[in-house]
Amino acid sequence: MNKNVMVIGGGPCGLEASAQLHKMGYNVILIEKEKQLGGHLAKWDRLFPEGIEAKEVLQPLVDNINGVKYFLDTEVVSINLLDKEYNVILSNGITVLSKAVLMTSGFDLFPAEKKEEYGYGIYDRVITNADLEKFFATGKDPRVVENPKRIGFVHCVGSRDEKAGNRYCSKVCCATAVKQACEMKALFPDAEIFCFYMDLRMFGRGYEDMYLKAQKDYGIRFIRGRVSEVSETLEKQVLVKAEDTLSGKPLKVTLDLLVLMAGMQNAKSGIRIGEMISMKRSDDGFFTTKGSILSLQECDKAGIFYAGACTGPKTLPDTLNEARAAAVSIHNYFNKEN
Amino acid sequence: MRERIAGGYDNFVIPFMIGIIFLLVYLFIGLIRILKHVPGEDRKRLFLSFVNPKIIIKDLRDIICDCLLHVKIFKRNILLGYMHASIAFGWFMLIVIGHIEVALFVPQRNGSLYYPVFYRFFVAEQNYTLKGAFFFFLMDFFLLIVLGGVGLAMYKRVRSIAMGMRRTTKPCFADRVALYCLWSIFPLRLLAEGFTAGISGGSFLTKPVNMLFANFFGNDLNIYPTWWAYSIALGLFFLAMPFSRYMHIPTEVLLIVMRNAGLKVTRPRKGFAEAEIYSCSSCGICLDACPMNVQKKNINYSSVYFIRFLRRHNTRKINEIADKCLMCGKCVVLCPVGVESCNIKMAQRGTVTEKLPYDYSYLQEIHAPVKEKKEKVLYFAGCMTHLTPSIIKSMQKIFEAAGEDYYFADSDGGLCCGRPLMMAGKKEAAKELIKKNSELFMASGCETIVLSCPICLRVFKEEYRLPGIKLLHHTQYIDSLIKEGRISVNKDDTSFVYHDPCELGRGCKIYDEPRNVVAALGELRHASKEKKESICCGGSVGSLTLNFDDRAKITRESIKALTVENPDKIITACPLCLKTFSDQSMVPVNDIAEAVAEKIA
Repeated sequence: MNKNVMVIGGGPCGLEASAQLHKMGYNVILIEKEKQLGGHLAKWDRLFPEGIEAKEVLQPLVDNINGVKYFLDTEVVSINLLDKEYNVILSNGITVLSKAVLMTSGFDLFPAEKKEEYGYGIYDRVITNADLEKFFATGKDPRVVENPKRIGFVHCVGSRDEKAGNRYCSKVCCATAVKQACEMKALFPDAEIFCFYMDLRMFGRGYEDMYLKAQKDYGIRFIRGRVSEVSETLEKQVLVKAEDTLSGKPLKVTLDLLVLMAGMQNAKSGIRIGEMISMKRSDDGFFTTKGSILSLQECDKAGIFYAGACTGPKTLPDTLNEARAAAVSIHNYFNKEN
Repeated sequence: MRERIAGGYDNFVIPFMIGIIFLLVYLFIGLIRILKHVPGEDRKRLFLSFVNPKIIIKDLRDIICDCLLHVKIFKRNILLGYMHASIAFGWFMLIVIGHIEVALFVPQRNGSLYYPVFYRFFVAEQNYTLKGAFFFFLMDFFLLIVLGGVGLAMYKRVRSIAMGMRRTTKPCFADRVALYCLWSIFPLRLLAEGFTAGISGGSFLTKPVNMLFANFFGNDLNIYPTWWAYSIALGLFFLAMPFSRYMHIPTEVLLIVMRNAGLKVTRPRKGFAEAEIYSCSSCGICLDACPMNVQKKNINYSSVYFIRFLRRHNTRKINEIADKCLMCGKCVVLCPVGVESCNIKMAQRGTVTEKLPYDYSYLQEIHAPVKEKKEKVLYFAGCMTHLTPSIIKSMQKIFEAAGEDYYFADSDGGLCCGRPLMMAGKKEAAKELIKKNSELFMASGCETIVLSCPICLRVFKEEYRLPGIKLLHHTQYIDSLIKEGRISVNKDDTSFVYHDPCELGRGCKIYDEPRNVVAALGELRHASKEKKESICCGGSVGSLTLNFDDRAKITRESIKALTVENPDKIITACPLCLKTFSDQSMVPVNDIAEAVAEKIA
């Protein structure tokens, strides 16, 4: 019998799921639209809460898929159900018949230029969390001046923001902001660093400690209040206006660098595939799972499975757990069918 | 010419007399009530307007054009206009000619309410005298016109789209009573006059009816029932009128006179507003106009129902609709009567919000900046534009290219213009900001203020007193720069469609300048609804309660209307429209300033 499993998306989730399924004896076909494996993880420098290097996590994941057939720079051209199997045509000309399809298509970062009032793409000193990770990794970004005196982080950019179309919390940005703020302080000890937040959601193990350390050891200033608008001064610095809702006063501060913590939204590439066989999506844009507690890995269409951020924002450990859970769900699906 | 009935009275006039006396008393009391609730200053203004020949001429012209000929409806749809005009003007002429006949032939009956109406019953005339034939012909002619209108009205009930209306209002009980009476009045009049035509005379319409029926019924016994029925239909119509939509017929005259005298809505239910409310004819043109009615949802939020609830004093519903409205003003410009429902809604919001506390004491500490130079042009971006910094950057580039010596008034953020507060009903709070801003502008010594936000521009034009200062939206300013050759732009074959922002188009009547500018950049294409019919982008700050899903639907509808001719780019001239469209549009959206700055030579 054909034991093909199609895995769509070669980020950490797709890698982990492929490795597990391969070990279970399935014939995994993994596709990735980019030229390299690893998804967002490959573009990240360090991970919260301890600051482990992203490479250290990604390398074992990549090593583990030994024996899995994978195609880079490949997209799904069409997918449709033939009898009990999905017929997937790939952009490299290959057609796969597969009983189970696992969506590990992940997330896109919220396009920060949509929040035009923050000036991303308009002002020279405004970057995103992803840009900053790239700066950490390469040490190069023309927008980061030599010795920044004041740096600001804006939380919830495109998250918990109905006007931006995303009402939900993106879960990882608070911890990322605290991590990045500390790293910046370590790089530029003389800089004053501000975090503009609505709430700080330090829910995970070790997160609260990281937050306390940021205040005590790094002297990061946390200001509760949303940034209302950003403008540019003649010296090309950015002038940030916000309200400190704890003191109830409006606040103006001139910064040398402003970092926007762009949130997550369902990946466009995943949505495109979902629409081909009308996989349901909820109001927040993420795929709807069969159940909200017991069957998180299944779609209501038999043979389609989900893992990772395509069903909502998730941390990396959560995502990897879902990848393993999905492998088990797929295994059970094959056994039941026999 | 002789009176047929001695004493000039018959019992069948009783229903008519009951109706007309009730109506006249009702109108008189209503008029006194409205005048009582109008602020003293406005009352004086109203009385003064009666001795101002200019206003009197305007009053007369408006009454003839709007109440009788319905010119505005003609412009919208010829058939719909003809329907309204034929009934209104035809009926008016029947009444006037009736009175002329009385005055000419039976002057002793002058002043009687019923005599001119039932003239044919009371007076016998031979149609072969020249005078008789002339009036017989006129009366039959206008009766025919009215009957044609009534026929169209009946047809409209069945198929409103034939008259350009996708939706019509649901009539309430009194509306139905009045409507069916109105439908029956004129056919009954034809029958009644037809039956008496053998005795009293008639013309091309009534004579044939007389001959036809004489063959069936033979004698004149059927005369009385039809005259009674005609009188009853009239009486019932007048009795139902104050409680029905037809109250707009007498009230509209008052509204025109008050509006031309310069009166404004001060309270949501009383005084001038009451005249507006009763002038609503419930025609339902605002149903199709309202952007909230996309996909037949929220149809109850239209102005016509808002006004109906105001008439019924349903406070919960009144507040709900008043808060929902986007204040785009489309229903106001399309309203054939010109009911300014947005103003009533703002006044209604005020009944709730004016009581809320506010503290603008900090305004005292703000002083006009000390400037070294006295720039003649002042740029005021406004808070919305500060949320779309690319517009500011583009404007700076344009100012520089034109070599303009300008002062950026709110580069560091300015005071709110007050319009959002006005729209929320907080008039007093808005006035404090308006006062302070005016002081600052007057102290600046500028001659022109260029604004990027139409929301600011509107309140500047309507509420600010800035003598000697010219107010320009940046579309107008850029248009003049191009015309005067101070900047030049590279035209290419990009195609554009221009979106009229509500506050700039309907609010400030600026339609042509932005189109001139766009045409200078490339090819200007059309939207399916544009200029005063333009659809709100959905992002309006006017609504206090409309949720994001409903707003998104409006945005999609608006984009659909803009992209019917597949333009390469949507151009708008309001920072709020820009933000709203950018989130949803597949076609790139730019402010006019961005598009110009990009192509500056």
